[in-house]
Amino acid sequence: MSDSFGSTALRLDSASPPNDVMIKLEGLRKRYPGQSTDSVRPLDMEIRRGEFVVFVGPSGCGKTTTLRMINRLVEPTSGQIWIDGRDVTHTDPDELRRHIGYVIQQVGLIPHLTISQNVGLVPKLLGWDKKRIEPRVDELLDLVGLDPAQYRRRYPKQLSGGQQQRVGVARALAADPPVMVMDEPFGAIDPITRERLQDEFLKLQQRIRKTIVFVTHDIDEALKLGDRIAIFGESSQLAQFATPLEILSHPADDYVRSFVGTGAAIRRLGLLRVGDLEGAGGGAGAGPALRVPPETTVYAALEQMLDAGAARLAVDGEPGAERSLSLQEMLAAAARGRQVPS
Amino acid sequence: MSRAEGVIDVEAEAPVASWVLPVLAVVLTAGMLGYLQVASLDSIEQRVLVPDAILDATIQHINLVVASTLLVIVIAVPLGILLSRRRARWLGAPVLALANAGQAIPSIGVLVLLAILVGVGFSMAVVALVIYALLPVLRNTMVGLQQVDRSLIDAGRGMGMSARQVLTTIELPLAVPVMLAGIRVALILNVGVAALATYTNAGGLGTFIESGIVFNRMPILLTGSVLTIALALIVDWLAGLAENKLRPRGL
Repeated sequence: MSDSFGSTALRLDSASPPNDVMIKLEGLRKRYPGQSTDSVRPLDMEIRRGEFVVFVGPSGCGKTTTLRMINRLVEPTSGQIWIDGRDVTHTDPDELRRHIGYVIQQVGLIPHLTISQNVGLVPKLLGWDKKRIEPRVDELLDLVGLDPAQYRRRYPKQLSGGQQQRVGVARALAADPPVMVMDEPFGAIDPITRERLQDEFLKLQQRIRKTIVFVTHDIDEALKLGDRIAIFGESSQLAQFATPLEILSHPADDYVRSFVGTGAAIRRLGLLRVGDLEGAGGGAGAGPALRVPPETTVYAALEQMLDAGAARLAVDGEPGAERSLSLQEMLAAAARGRQVPS
Repeated sequence: MSRAEGVIDVEAEAPVASWVLPVLAVVLTAGMLGYLQVASLDSIEQRVLVPDAILDATIQHINLVVASTLLVIVIAVPLGILLSRRRARWLGAPVLALANAGQAIPSIGVLVLLAILVGVGFSMAVVALVIYALLPVLRNTMVGLQQVDRSLIDAGRGMGMSARQVLTTIELPLAVPVMLAGIRVALILNVGVAALATYTNAGGLGTFIESGIVFNRMPILLTGSVLTIALALIVDWLAGLAENKLRPRGL
C-alpha cells in the first residue's frame, strides 16, 4: 500500500469529523443561452468527505449538467461551488480539474498513448517527474486489477471494454484527487462485467474513501452503490436526497415511488444484513437452522432458506454471541431494519 | 482477476504490397531507356535528349513539387487548425469553397492566368501549384480534426488539459493519418501539374513533352511523359512509406 492511499485511509479512521463537508453547492443554476427555462434549477447540496453520492433521474433531468458544473466543464449561470472549504466557482478551471478525478461512460482513453501513458496523464500535467509517475502507474494498475507488467505497454484498443474502464478509473485516481466525478462509468459495459466492476469499485472505495459524485440513470445501480442518492425530477428539481434505505422505506412522493419502481420492500432486503437485525433472541428454536455469516444480506439469507427449506436462521458470531432467528422474527426485524453501514 | 478478459491483438499490420509502384517505375524507365538505345535518333532528338538536360529537368521537376508541397503544408495545416477551432468554425465553409474553386479551375488556366498577371518563372509556377494543391491538405486537416472522437476531448478537458494541450496531445496526433493522406494527394497532384510549368518557363519534365509535340518527335515526347509517370509512382510510393511511418501507433 502506498503512502498516498495509506494516508487517505488514515484520515478516514481518525481525523475527519463525520460531518466534514467536502463538496457544497449553493444555489447552483444553469441556463443555456437562448433557452427560456433553467436546465438546472437553483440547487443546494452538501456532500460529506468520503461519501459516495449518486445522481439518478431520467434523461434531461439535469443530473449530468450538475455533475459537469462541479468540475466546471459546464460553467454555472449562478451559484457557488465549494470544494474542501474553498470557493472554486471562479478559480482556474484547468487547475481545478487536475484535482478532481473524471471518469466517463465512453472511457476516453487516448488511443495513441499506452495504458501507462494514459494513467500518467494527470501526474504529468501536474509536473511530477518520471521517477515518481512510473511506480504510481504500476500501483494504480494493480489497484484496479490489471497486472502492470502485462498491460503497461499496451494500447487501449488491445483491451476489452471492461478493462478499458478499469484503466479509466486508474487514470482518474492517478494524482490521488480527494474528489471524483463519474458520468455513467459502467453504462456501456455488458451486464455481467458491469456487476463485477460495481462490486470491485465498492470494495476499492472502502479502501480509498474518495468523495464521489456518480451519475447514472439506473436506479438499481444507484441503490447498490450510493451512500446517499439524489433523485432528480423531470424539471431538474431534486425530488429526494437520502440514503437508499430511506428512499425505499419512505419515498418522498409519488414521483420517487414510481421512479424506484415496484418491489421496494423486497429490494430493501438486499440492503439489510442479518447481523444488523434487531430484537433477535439468542436461544435455539425448533426446526433446522441455516447457518450464515452476519454480513449476509437478508435477501440472500431468505433465498438460501427457501432453497434449503429452513425455517430458522443461525447467524455466526463470537462464541456465545451466535443468534438464531425465526422467519417471523426476521421479517419483523427487517420491517424496522436499519441500513447496512457501508 | 480480470486477466481472463479477452485481449485483441492489433500489433500485426497487413503487409502493404509496397514494392509494386517502385518496380513499375523502374520497369517503365528501363523500357524507355532501352527504346532510346535501340531507336536511331535524328539530329533534333539527339540535341534535346542530352543526359544532363534530362537530369536537370528531373531535378527542376522535383524542386517544383517539393517547394510547392512544403508551402502548401505551411499554409494549409495551420489554416485548417485555425478553422476547426470553435471561434473560427463559421469561416470554415467559405474558405473551403474558395479552396474548392482553386482546384476546380483547370490548372493550365491558373498557370497561364498567373503568367499573364504576374509573370513567368519558377516562383510563379510554385504559386500556381500551391493554389491548385491547397484544397486536399486544408480539407483533410479540417476533416481530420473534426473526426476526433468528442469524448476524447471531453476526457482531456475533464482531466485538466488546456485547450492547447488537448490540441497537441489528442487532436493533432489523431488527425495525422487523415492529414497525411491529404498531403499525399497534394504531392501526386503537383507531380502532374508541374508538367505544365514549362508553359511559364519554369522547366521540369514538361519541357520534353512540349518539345516532343512542337518538333513532332516521338522519342522526346516519350521521355518526358514516361519520366513524369515514373516520378509520380516513386513519389506516391515514398509518401505511402512516410504515411505508414508517421501514423501514430495504437490506432
